[in-house]
Amino acid sequence: MDTIFREFGEAFSQQNGYQLSQTLTPQLPKDMLRVIWRSANHHDVKSVLRRGIQSSSSSLMNRLSREEVDGWVEVYYTYWKACEHLLAMEEGSSNSSWTKVYEAWKEMLNALHRGYTNYGFEAWTIPCIYVGAKNLRIFAIRADQQRNSSSAQENSGMSFQDDFDPESGKNQQLEDCARQLNRMFQLCLSDRAPLEESRKWGIYYVVNLLFKTYFKLNSASLSKNMLKSLTAGRGDMPGLSAFPKSQQVTFKYYEGVLHFLEENYVESEKHLTIAWNLCHKNAMRNKELILTYLIPCHLLTTHTLPTQQLLEPHPRLQKLFLPLCRSIKKGELHAFDIALQEAEDEFVKRRIYLTLERGRDIALRNLLRKVFLAGGFEPPKEDGAKPLRRTRIPVDEFVAAISLGSQQMLDPDEVECLLANMIYKNLMKGYIARERGIVVLSKSGAFPGTGV
Amino acid sequence: MMPAWPSVPNQGTQPSPPAFTYHPGPAYTPVQVRQSFAAPYPTPPPSYSVSQVAYGHSQIPAPVPQPTYPPAAAPASEEPAKKKIDWPESVRFYVQRSFLPENLDQSVSRQDMEAKLKEIISHANETGIMHTINWDTMALPQQIIKHERTQALISQVQALTTDPTRGTAAATVPVNPSRKRKSGNMSEDMDNALPPWKISAESRGLLQDRITQPSPDKRQTMDEPLSKKDSKFQKQLEKRQKRFDGGYKSAYRSPSPPPSDGPVVGTCTTLEKRYLRLTAPPVASVVRPEHILKQTLQLLKKKWKQEQNYSYICDQFKSMRQDLTVQRIKNEFTVEVYEIHARIALEKGDLGEYNQCQTQLKALYQLGLKGSPVEFKAYRILYFIHTANRTALNDVLADLTTAEKKERPIKHALDVRSALALGNYHRFFQLYLDTPNMGGYLMDMFVDRERLAAFCNICKAYKPDVRLRFVTEELGFEGDQHAAQFIVDNVGQGVLEERNSDIMFLTAQADKSQLFEPLRAAAFRRIDIKGQI
Repeated sequence: MDTIFREFGEAFSQQNGYQLSQTLTPQLPKDMLRVIWRSANHHDVKSVLRRGIQSSSSSLMNRLSREEVDGWVEVYYTYWKACEHLLAMEEGSSNSSWTKVYEAWKEMLNALHRGYTNYGFEAWTIPCIYVGAKNLRIFAIRADQQRNSSSAQENSGMSFQDDFDPESGKNQQLEDCARQLNRMFQLCLSDRAPLEESRKWGIYYVVNLLFKTYFKLNSASLSKNMLKSLTAGRGDMPGLSAFPKSQQVTFKYYEGVLHFLEENYVESEKHLTIAWNLCHKNAMRNKELILTYLIPCHLLTTHTLPTQQLLEPHPRLQKLFLPLCRSIKKGELHAFDIALQEAEDEFVKRRIYLTLERGRDIALRNLLRKVFLAGGFEPPKEDGAKPLRRTRIPVDEFVAAISLGSQQMLDPDEVECLLANMIYKNLMKGYIARERGIVVLSKSGAFPGTGV
Repeated sequence: MMPAWPSVPNQGTQPSPPAFTYHPGPAYTPVQVRQSFAAPYPTPPPSYSVSQVAYGHSQIPAPVPQPTYPPAAAPASEEPAKKKIDWPESVRFYVQRSFLPENLDQSVSRQDMEAKLKEIISHANETGIMHTINWDTMALPQQIIKHERTQALISQVQALTTDPTRGTAAATVPVNPSRKRKSGNMSEDMDNALPPWKISAESRGLLQDRITQPSPDKRQTMDEPLSKKDSKFQKQLEKRQKRFDGGYKSAYRSPSPPPSDGPVVGTCTTLEKRYLRLTAPPVASVVRPEHILKQTLQLLKKKWKQEQNYSYICDQFKSMRQDLTVQRIKNEFTVEVYEIHARIALEKGDLGEYNQCQTQLKALYQLGLKGSPVEFKAYRILYFIHTANRTALNDVLADLTTAEKKERPIKHALDVRSALALGNYHRFFQLYLDTPNMGGYLMDMFVDRERLAAFCNICKAYKPDVRLRFVTEELGFEGDQHAAQFIVDNVGQGVLEERNSDIMFLTAQADKSQLFEPLRAAAFRRIDIKGQI
């Protein structure tokens, strides 16, 4: 306990928020927890804390106000109680559970919240919120896991819905955690103090935590509201680039993925590219995560495939994307289908299946282009003229090409349908003359962007 | 009209017939032994209309009551006076008693009553028992009428269940020309699946008992708040209610009251119950236990086949679901209720209700309960295709096992999805024409949208024109007529042209004026589902 007071005093004298936040960490060895827990009892804990805080801050230039002391006493009191539950958990006492830890920790976070709203805590102490919020999320997940594994379905509170709610209770704590985090988000967002001493500096940390939580809860769409209020308040907020890089990367990554899930690939690519460029070069896992979405984006927006060099350091990504890329490049439609099918589970899990599926268009385009190239040139009409490619191609040739790969005869009407799609999507220029059974391709750039 | 819920105005006081000689709902009803093993309750067309009438009595609202109600005795003294017969005092009292307000029954109209009264008295007069009858204990005309109706209905139902021609009747039910399966056929399957001995004579008797007398007490208490109004207002109310039928889900949900301790165990034995959203802990006396609900389901299946009154059925199913939920009954019967409701909602295009059922079914199947998970997982995929809910689609894909992906309905739905994702309208419409189960109802919802998209494709890719027949075949129209109608309805006649006895669709022209693009964009923009969260 004395260590805490000493560090508290030091942190305050230097106004070091991160050092201060360390005094509130729950990630302590069992012995430390026990020491903290034993250093006071329920009767005297508050007065012990008050004395400690007052004496450690007495040497400060600007002494803590009476309210601030009250606020911090509350915070450490709740922290001390949370330690009790944590210790019980660590020691495996029968009366312990992560849910209790979660509840106790939530109290701690509430005390912090009150500190900012009622007791005039200063903005530099905001890292305390980070520690509180981050661990709240951890405890929430543990509590949900523990409850779900122990009792199949205890009859939790009954509501008067006509139908039972299948999801209720499964993520009870995490959902509650999302609500708490949202309060913290509002706490940061609503601060009207001048920028230098504003809680707004805490905002992206909390936002990123919220992103994580919403994604885990399978309700990524809720993040949209948050983004909206961020955009609305952007005017009087520090620019993103002024925040720590780690926060920037995480934020841009999630923003990109959100756009990705909405099929807004152009926007998504923009954000993901920023994240990619800012990402620390040794953060392999983060880079992999970014690429998982950036590569499909790129495939759709610019029709380009990742280079060998890019994938080189990421064996996992190679395994994921290489078969698909190869088949697209070679225009092997059937191989593409197989590759997609084989990795389907992985793709679906990462939510990139539906996007990659569209890569089939590129594979098909490449195949049709091959047919076009194989058609060769028209006999020159006059000597010396630039040779012209044959641009009138029987539909049958395309049918044959597509059927060849799969060893299955395709209905010519279906092939026409695929051709029509190519034309509609501007991947191929020309038209189908159905009466004559031929495709008339453009003389200048039949396959835009591919050099022919 | 909602047959079982006549909101008939009631004269303020409940009828409480004193000397009850004929109880409208006898304690038991003799039921003849089943003589054939045919399907339990088919509906031969002729008897249908009769049973309509039989059910009908409860739905006919009483005529507008005269505002100036004559003194109870007046009609009594008038009527016999015309005939110039000397009526004994006891008869006069009997007539008087019949018209006492507390003896009036709102399900029996005044005309009917007067006619009956006349009949009774003249019969007594003709047979000369006028003076021997004990008029004081004689049943009142309205009671007699009710009893007769009950009897008529019972014999009606008995005729139904024992009619020897009925065996074939099931087969002669008009064959549905549509390629889709009807929800009715579905429940028929289930009826057949039930072994005949399971439908005991007793339970059938009980059932019919309920039909003939849809528990007056219950009904009246429900109608009470309305009954005070005059019937004109009542009718308007009913009309308004009708308009909002199917719109049970209001956007606003009042905050739920605090939870109770545990599930209730119902004690209610009435089969039918109106749906009311709970705002307080459920009371056991108005919750039906499972064995009653099972009878309710049988009754509702029968009614659905006979009457096809969706707003009534939906209401009833909702109250059933509610009863199941408050009692925390989650078993195969629960699955059956939700499945049937989902199918009916699907057939009627009520996607809001359908979606609720589907969500529940998903969870119920996850509990390992038996049912038709394959069928409903396929619907689920089609549903998400319709609502263009990519996130949900992703989740569904993630949840499917390899074995499930091979099941025909699911494979079909997945193929539909991939055909649409790749713009392969050729394949999509082939799949559309060959949809298993009731998936066609779901596909109907988005097939026009996909047609518009395909038209955009075709117009841009084909030059200068194509035969209309080609469009008909590619886009799954029922015939050239249908295809032409679709084109004309959407973009007018300008793009169709007759040439050498062929109708040509001028794709180049349609493309040049970008006829289909805005339509396509509009069709994809609005996918707004009622009840969708």
